[in-house]
Amino acid sequence: MSRRDYLGEFEHIIVLALLRLEDRAYGVTVRQEIELRTQREVSIGAVYATLDRLETKGYVTSHRGEPTPERGGRSKRFFRVTAKGAAAVNRTHHALQRMTEGLGFTWSHA
Amino acid sequence: MEPRVTSQQNFVRPPSLAVWLLNLFALAERADSILGDLLEEFSLLASKSGVASARRWYWRQTIKTVPQLAGVGFRTAPWMTGAAVVGGFLLRKLVAPWVDPSIFAVLERYQVFEHHFSTYRFLASTGLDVGHFITFLCIGFIVAFAAREREMVATMSLGLIYGAIGVAGSVYIVTRTGDDATLWRLTWYFADSLAIVIAGAIVRTHRLAATSHSSNA
Repeated sequence: MSRRDYLGEFEHIIVLALLRLEDRAYGVTVRQEIELRTQREVSIGAVYATLDRLETKGYVTSHRGEPTPERGGRSKRFFRVTAKGAAAVNRTHHALQRMTEGLGFTWSHA
Repeated sequence: MEPRVTSQQNFVRPPSLAVWLLNLFALAERADSILGDLLEEFSLLASKSGVASARRWYWRQTIKTVPQLAGVGFRTAPWMTGAAVVGGFLLRKLVAPWVDPSIFAVLERYQVFEHHFSTYRFLASTGLDVGHFITFLCIGFIVAFAAREREMVATMSLGLIYGAIGVAGSVYIVTRTGDDATLWRLTWYFADSLAIVIAGAIVRTHRLAATSHSSNA
């Protein structure tokens, strides 16, 4: 099994954010969701760089929304997880679970 | 970019320099959504926490985002960007030996040495450096034109290569000869690197203006 079959840490977080946000997932909401849940400041550049990588791998797709005045006439780019992406997040999640089995880990906040 | 009205009915714009920097590095198809997202959050922050705080946030985002955008630019077209950088490097190799002889040929043609010695002294020292600066500027223009949409990544890479060569060469000379007076030449090496990057920024800004003009027409 190649290394590409698993998601990196930030890729994993981004895909989970997309799954949570469903059809409301675009740059602002993804960034805010991650900041809210992980308590770490994330740049929009890091979010887009990772989303571009995930799109290249076929794990997410994107489409443009309508331009809106509050965005200076610029459009949103909405993202959605593909079946391949959902399979990758599952695989990564199970691999992490298997690796932590027997270590006495409690899934509480550090 | 359209101004935004806050709850205080003031027009608030994000810092123009930060917006310009983001535009320099963002790919055209990504710039719209990235700048739109930042403006949306900036406007929200400005009305909630004040303009100064929103501007600080915008700058923080810009500083963290620019390297990411440069990385995406290179990753999405590594061969084209690499070819532009290598092409620029080879072009400089080809052109550089002609710069000094050309300047001296002009000085001799107009007999500057015989009639205006102080001018000759200036042109034979600082004039040569200016000649090299202009040469690097022209090479930067060519590299930026070749590296479509990745002007800044290509010109900054080439600038860094020349900067590194300048530093390595100067350190080598100083350690071999012990003559640390050559270190001042580093300022000119850095100026040459800066000329390449300036050319990249000029080409990119010109292209953005042309795109914006054609989309408004």
